[in-house]
Amino acid sequence: MFKLNKKVLISISAAAALSLGFSACVGDNAAPGNYTNAAVPAIDGGVSYPLKDGKTGPYYVNTQVEGKKIFNGRVPTKAEYDAWNTDVMPDGTGLPDGEGSVEDGDAIYEAKCLSCHGDFGSGGGGYPSLAKGNAYTLQKTLTNQRLKPDMDGPVRVFGSYWPKASTLWWYIKDAMPHPQTGTLTDDETYALVAFILNINEMKIDGEEVDDEYVLDREKFLKIKMPNENGFVPNIDGPEGPENVRAYFANGENFGGQKVKASERCMTNCQEPTAKVVYIKNGGISDFHPPIAEAKDLPKEEGNTAFDAKKAYAENCAMCHDTGVGPAPDDKAAWRERTAKGVDKVYANGINGINAMPPKGGASLSDAEFKSVVDYLINQSK
Amino acid sequence: MKNKDSLEDSLSNEAKLDRRDFFRKTAVLSATALAGTSIFAADDPAITEPTEWGTKWGDPVTKNLYGVPSAYEHNVTRRYTKLLASGNYRASIAVSPIQDLSGIITPNGLFFSRCHGGVAHIDPNEHRLMITGLVEKPIVLTMKQLKRYPSVTRTHFIECPANGGQEWRGPQYNSLQFAKGFMSCAEWTGVYVKTILEDLGIKPEARWMLAEGGDSSKMGRTLPMEKVLDDAMIVWAQNGEALRPEQGYPIRLLVPGWEGNLCVKWLRRLDFAAEPWYCKEETSKYTVLKPTGKAIQHFYANEVNSTVTSPSPEIDWSDLEDGAVVEIEGLAWSGMGTITGVDLSFDGGKNYIEAKLKGLVLPKCWTRWSYMHTYKKGDELFLTSRAMDDAGYVQPTVDQETLAVGVEAVYHRNAVETWKVEKDGKITHVEVRSQLDRKPNKELEIEGKA
Repeated sequence: MFKLNKKVLISISAAAALSLGFSACVGDNAAPGNYTNAAVPAIDGGVSYPLKDGKTGPYYVNTQVEGKKIFNGRVPTKAEYDAWNTDVMPDGTGLPDGEGSVEDGDAIYEAKCLSCHGDFGSGGGGYPSLAKGNAYTLQKTLTNQRLKPDMDGPVRVFGSYWPKASTLWWYIKDAMPHPQTGTLTDDETYALVAFILNINEMKIDGEEVDDEYVLDREKFLKIKMPNENGFVPNIDGPEGPENVRAYFANGENFGGQKVKASERCMTNCQEPTAKVVYIKNGGISDFHPPIAEAKDLPKEEGNTAFDAKKAYAENCAMCHDTGVGPAPDDKAAWRERTAKGVDKVYANGINGINAMPPKGGASLSDAEFKSVVDYLINQSK
Repeated sequence: MKNKDSLEDSLSNEAKLDRRDFFRKTAVLSATALAGTSIFAADDPAITEPTEWGTKWGDPVTKNLYGVPSAYEHNVTRRYTKLLASGNYRASIAVSPIQDLSGIITPNGLFFSRCHGGVAHIDPNEHRLMITGLVEKPIVLTMKQLKRYPSVTRTHFIECPANGGQEWRGPQYNSLQFAKGFMSCAEWTGVYVKTILEDLGIKPEARWMLAEGGDSSKMGRTLPMEKVLDDAMIVWAQNGEALRPEQGYPIRLLVPGWEGNLCVKWLRRLDFAAEPWYCKEETSKYTVLKPTGKAIQHFYANEVNSTVTSPSPEIDWSDLEDGAVVEIEGLAWSGMGTITGVDLSFDGGKNYIEAKLKGLVLPKCWTRWSYMHTYKKGDELFLTSRAMDDAGYVQPTVDQETLAVGVEAVYHRNAVETWKVEKDGKITHVEVRSQLDRKPNKELEIEGKA
């Protein structure tokens, strides 16, 4: 009935391990993850607090809960299940059929993505970059460490860093474009993925994803990410969870210092060369609101009316101050837009136009939005 | 020492001297005389003058049926900075004013707020939780049905693993709120995921659980079954009331001690499978890139950590007088277990003494610690705290941590932190580098950010 059976990858060893885990959970006065005094540490390298004498750690537990079948809720219908089961797994589970070209992707990108992610996925204004050049070359930057201010860091964009292409397809389909998620069709998603592979200068099965490339499900499943093997521990397959456990059991892997309390350093723990590092160049202090500790009454704002300038800064400046939309002082652009009357400008803004989502994605009433438009137009005069 | 009569004389002679000054004067006279200090302070009008609130009606109980803080506390707020926004403030964080907090509970309005597609405002009547995949019986629950499961209440911190993550290459924030405020701690009520799974039955081949949110960002994360069957919870209440929208109203996943990002807000779906999902937030982000070029993935627990909360850059010692006896206070926490002790250094980590734990000491929870100090005006101090937990870990020095994972990790920074107490009592955030038993590594003599 459900597609979920496709996700099953039967493994005798894993089955054994997990049935043990679960029976421990429902068993008598025992809980999984009880490795405090056992040879096997918890999966995160830490400890857990098994149920003992009716308590877990310091908390009392109502053990009457155990073994009770409560059965709230109901079985979801097929349509309900399908509506939410939109995840796409690395083996292609959940990936629908469809196709899209780099060319189409470029056009959709320009209309729906460029306003935030910039030309060719270059990012900007804090929005993530989608590409920085050739993925295979940039993958080699991952050993870079910025030990000095003028050094280049590692490039962590989709092409150079992400281990699986399925993540990209799934994320775009479910969570992009950011102000209107879940609005792209499967074909549009294939097209955008093709475009992003293109700007990362990637190949599929030896073939360059060039400007003519058309991506479909079959080709998608052949994508090998340059940094596929760049992650530890290995979480795939029946041994995945045990690999994780082994990795975090060793503090050396992640900088953890396991020291007996009686043996921790208490005196003369530093070298004579120890030096103090201060905040350089003022550090980061662009805090909102500014740090203040006074116990006083808030200053009278005087006018508590809607602040169009503030609303502009919070909702519009990210595009209109960065050249994506016309800037407030771009007299020519605003003259052109207001030529057909300000009502037309209001309507375009409220309904969205080109790359601009309705009201720029802002949560403003129509009246508030119009006063922001008025503010913009007045600035251009 | 003056006798009673002469004190009464001075009282009658000093018409302005009020009762409070009497006791102050007595105290001063009882102590060794302090050169240059006037014992005859001016009257305090806060005492001698009638107050408005002491003479007139206050508000009726009908006002503010949901209470709000005193207007005088308006500076105690979450704060944000553009640096921590992924383009806009709907994919961003507002950090908690831990310099202003007391005890181990963060008030709901001050709990740090991190979201990826804005704060969703969900109608609880229209919200469902669906549990599917490798379970014997998939289900969908209304919020009312979910809350009929037997509840558990636990106090845990939630910490964004990027807490302190801007400071791998040297200190950046002269602020406790921004240096350590990507976390908060609350009492949570909900149901263990394992309690619901007892009903559904889990298939033996299930090794991983996907938790997915119903907000526009569809936040998803993969968890191993071991944690799901240990202490993972679906929570609907925080500090005795419904979750705030910023915390995932009506329900969120709570994964005690682990990365805050795993505590998926606005939770709507749990799915079980044999293989992990590789969600966007566990590949592109929340991975720790090491100097080898390999990145740690599925780095679950927030490791043992601590900070001095008083003094702080925000609330310093510039008003302390010489000889003042003052409490140095702080927080310690570990996502791997329970805090077993905290050491405090006055010289930036060269020598340590044991501080005292205070109040409740709970697993995967903020723990308060304290040390009584006699302040000497003009002293320069380097206050460094170092916590230990029952998993056997002690907080690393900055050198130990960077030698192991480099400076590009972004996440999971838990090295000790140092406040410098300047001669005038002001507090400056610094780092003290180099450690015995470690060879000085020229390459890791890191300068602050340009």
